[in-house]
Amino acid sequence: MDKILEVKDLKVSFRTQAGTLKAVRDISFDLERGKTLAIVGESGSGKSVTAKAIQGILAGNTIIEGGEIFFDGKDLLKISEEEFHHIRGDKIAMIFQDPLSSLNPIVKIGKQITEATLLKSKLNRREAKDEFKTLLAELKNNMIESENGKNADKVNDMVKTFDKFMLESNHLENAYNIASTNAQDLDSLVEDFLFLASKNQKLDVKAQLRDFKNRLGKLKNHFLTGKFDQRIEEMKDELSGAVAAYSPKANNMEPVLETVNKLEDLLNEIVEQKKPDFTNIGYYKLYCQGADLNKPVEELNEVASKFTDEHFMNDFMEAAKKGVEHSYNKALENKKAILPELKKAREFFNGEFDKKEGKKAAKEISEKVDGTIDKLEFIKDSTAYTFRSAVSNGVDKLFYFIKRNPKEEKRFARQSARRDRMIARGKTVTWKVVPKVVYPPEQLKGNIVQVVDRLSEHYEDYIDTPVDFDKRTGDLIDHFKEEASLVVYRVTKGMAKEKAIKLMKEVGIHEPRLRYNQYPFEFSGGMRQRIVIAIALAANPEILICDEPTTALDVTIQSQILELINKLKEERNLSIIFITHDLGVVANMADDIAVMYAGKIVEYGTADDIFYDPRHPYTWALLSSMPDLDTKEKLDAIPGTPPNMIYPPQGDAFAARNKYALKIDFEEQPPFFQISETHRAATWLLHPDAPKVDTPKAITDRIARMNAKRMGGEQNA
Amino acid sequence: MPEQNDEVLLRVEHLCQYFGPTKAVDDVSFDIKKGEVFGLVGESGCGKTTTGRSIIKIYNITSGSIYFKGQRICAGTTGYKIEIKKARKELAELAKEASKATENKAELEAKLAEKKKAYSDLVIENRKKISAAKFDHKHSDREYAKTLIARTKAEYEPKLAAATGEELKTLQKKYKDELRVAKKTKLITKIQMIFQDPIASLDPRMTVREIIAEGLVINGIKDQNYIDEKVYEMLELVGLVREHAGRYPHEFSGGQRQRIGIARAVVMQPDLLIADEPVSALDVSIQAQVINLLNELRERLGLTILFIAHDLSVVKYFSNRIGVMYYGRMVELAETDELFAHPVHPYTRSLLSAIPLPDPHAEKQRKRIIYNALAAHDYSKQQPTLREIIPGHFVLCNDEEEAKYKEEFGF
Repeated sequence: MDKILEVKDLKVSFRTQAGTLKAVRDISFDLERGKTLAIVGESGSGKSVTAKAIQGILAGNTIIEGGEIFFDGKDLLKISEEEFHHIRGDKIAMIFQDPLSSLNPIVKIGKQITEATLLKSKLNRREAKDEFKTLLAELKNNMIESENGKNADKVNDMVKTFDKFMLESNHLENAYNIASTNAQDLDSLVEDFLFLASKNQKLDVKAQLRDFKNRLGKLKNHFLTGKFDQRIEEMKDELSGAVAAYSPKANNMEPVLETVNKLEDLLNEIVEQKKPDFTNIGYYKLYCQGADLNKPVEELNEVASKFTDEHFMNDFMEAAKKGVEHSYNKALENKKAILPELKKAREFFNGEFDKKEGKKAAKEISEKVDGTIDKLEFIKDSTAYTFRSAVSNGVDKLFYFIKRNPKEEKRFARQSARRDRMIARGKTVTWKVVPKVVYPPEQLKGNIVQVVDRLSEHYEDYIDTPVDFDKRTGDLIDHFKEEASLVVYRVTKGMAKEKAIKLMKEVGIHEPRLRYNQYPFEFSGGMRQRIVIAIALAANPEILICDEPTTALDVTIQSQILELINKLKEERNLSIIFITHDLGVVANMADDIAVMYAGKIVEYGTADDIFYDPRHPYTWALLSSMPDLDTKEKLDAIPGTPPNMIYPPQGDAFAARNKYALKIDFEEQPPFFQISETHRAATWLLHPDAPKVDTPKAITDRIARMNAKRMGGEQNA
Repeated sequence: MPEQNDEVLLRVEHLCQYFGPTKAVDDVSFDIKKGEVFGLVGESGCGKTTTGRSIIKIYNITSGSIYFKGQRICAGTTGYKIEIKKARKELAELAKEASKATENKAELEAKLAEKKKAYSDLVIENRKKISAAKFDHKHSDREYAKTLIARTKAEYEPKLAAATGEELKTLQKKYKDELRVAKKTKLITKIQMIFQDPIASLDPRMTVREIIAEGLVINGIKDQNYIDEKVYEMLELVGLVREHAGRYPHEFSGGQRQRIGIARAVVMQPDLLIADEPVSALDVSIQAQVINLLNELRERLGLTILFIAHDLSVVKYFSNRIGVMYYGRMVELAETDELFAHPVHPYTRSLLSAIPLPDPHAEKQRKRIIYNALAAHDYSKQQPTLREIIPGHFVLCNDEEEAKYKEEFGF
């Protein structure tokens, strides 16, 4: 499984006047690429805080007490603000709950939507270029080393060729894509025109026809419209004729409709062509003397692919495979060699050492670990990449608190004594002593050791896992293609505008061209939320965090937006964290669900686990407190309100509102009980010694009803 | 179910509410019977909140009438004015034609004279209507008090004539009291409203006691003990405790604040409660608490509720009848079960297909019906009106569609 984001033992609290509020208490979860994780819970359960921690936008009074958030080989809790600029909004985008406060009131909507696209275009190209170059250089070195430098000249040539034709291919493809998108846009405009005309709606026929003509003239691409050049010219003349012949007074639509229908046929033909395989065509065009690019698509593909394979690709793949293998083996050797070193480091950090020694040891071991990283692995290994920062951070923290702890103790003692004295004198004391923040050195040392342990465990696993080098090389070449396409992908203002308008249409805003130039206050609440979603999606993020995105919207729009998010997830392999308090919304979206209460995850499982086999009393309560379409009986409301997290309850936080609470629930926090491979819940009811409690009737009834409906539906089908 | 009969408590007739060129509510008519919960659903911006607010006279309606307990409380005048304008324009056109014409001048002039008379009649009639509407709009409370007084008189006078001695004295006292109450009764206070956002709708600088008692104080009740008693009673009714009376709204959680909002409405002993998205802003667990509370109040006090919401599962759970609105118009109106079993209008179908269910398997196969007003209807020949397809089930349609819908039902 390919984890894109890992949250480990995250603990977050807020310093407030009344004391330290424990918002998130030790939660862990993984987000897999292309999956949706839903976090469900009441307000105040810490779900938004978790999301904000991932985005690095927690308030100033936050204390991050521990944990790690791994993303792309970095620990998001420890990187600098500068580094975060490259991640926030770009790699991880967020849709906020309140659309009013997340839009700039004095900037037009259109500008707000295109802003990120335009900014990111430049940055992305630069970044992709860097990545492409460094990765290619690394590959080259490994390819040379794998043959002990015998083939250095040949490899140099090959890599140069690869670099050159990759960019050429992507230039061609990019131009083709832009032209094709324009053709599709024009096609949809024509369709709209015909639809409105068939409904006898008022139309500005002349302006529309002129617009069609203009757009048609701009569709110039050798591969897309090469065959149709003459027909396009004819069509343009015909459109001009139609403009001249039409008079608004007579409203003679028949000739116009005939022309437009013809135009639609032409466009359909253009759009439905098969897309050429540009990777090979780029090489064919550059290196084949007398290359004939006017052949039909299938033939061209075949010829180009044959030519490329024979002259270059087969050799290159073979050499690249050797290089990849070499790099892997080198890293593997180093990994094997470092295991005893890690053991030594572990002993060292467990023992006594002073600041200088500690820093030196951390540096030494980190350098060695850096040597074990296989740089040709383009999905970065988070544990290894974050090792350096984690260890040095641990050492710094240890010595900071060794110095700091006694001071903190003294301050606390002094202030408490003063307070007690004043109370003893009979004065009313309105202030409180700020609680002490003290970490024992043993615990901090333990943290460092844990980091070391985790790496050695990870490496032991790694050594045992077999590798398929053919697949790995293929993936690497694909990755190069992707990066190269990013390098050549330039977004102009016009393109950004068209894209924004398309997005606005997709999220269900009528007349997007008109609304593009409006200010946020001219939109209703639901419309504003759609704009916010459009902005978040415009940047093509890898992870999308949705914090109650549809809570303020009504059902039709809600399902539209959810469908939109789902569609984008499929198309772009997006990973989504979906935060909500409405379980109904989640059923459609989520692959995995985490139910949170009072800063802890109380139940974790797949959507099927949570909806068809819920185990935690809180999940029961959430499920039974909302009516569905067949509910007739009284709703099972959860009595009371969530606990005050400045004084978190000693045992299970939900115990006070739980009618199934056992005595132990008030005394000790329940651990996670594993129910199946994917499903776990933290409740004492799952302990083997616990009394047997059945799932509430409202839920079992509903599940039975749902099953019956499904069976009925299947039979009908 | 609480007692429910066919007595119409609120009748909305051809209600129009325009804000400039925007037709927020356009020709909406419905009845609410005593003791029922009438749900109003639709997407945001479709005019359901505006309808609720027009009923409680927060806006001056453009045209149409609203009857509450048989008394017209709101009436718009713009509709009549538009009618006059239209007639005047027609008349002017005809006059222009007549002055220009050369051939059949005499005939046209005769026609013009006829038209002129019709016009002046129309003007007189509409002006009468306008002044009646203005009067009703302004004096509905007084008029209602008058009918109440008349009713009390009619009830007591024969009794008083028959009674003698001690009995007469007590009866006279009772009569006087009732008469005073009747005189002071204000009709509009019998409609109360609960708002969506419990934070924004409570004054942060007033204590809960002041918030709940405000309506009573405005209505001229000065007896502090009586007010306190009432406030405590209401607090207990909505599931809070007496001690909460001295606190400020910010000291409460969202669900508790919504309870305060409900107490403030219920203390006026309303006959009709307009609940404008009362649970939309609350957490799921709190939502259930508030819905249960409303259900309980309805049973205990016999309230009639106009329930405005966009969460269809909640509306279905709570309402007897449902009206579906789309772009300012009522497109379908039926009993709840009937509406969910046989939705007729394409918009209703699309709305029902979008309800999220707590069932992953069903959700993943769900096909949402997309509604496009232009594609779904052809109103070029005839404009649609709200028609009764089967008894109690109204749909917005024209002749052609009516035949089609009826066919679906098997007529």
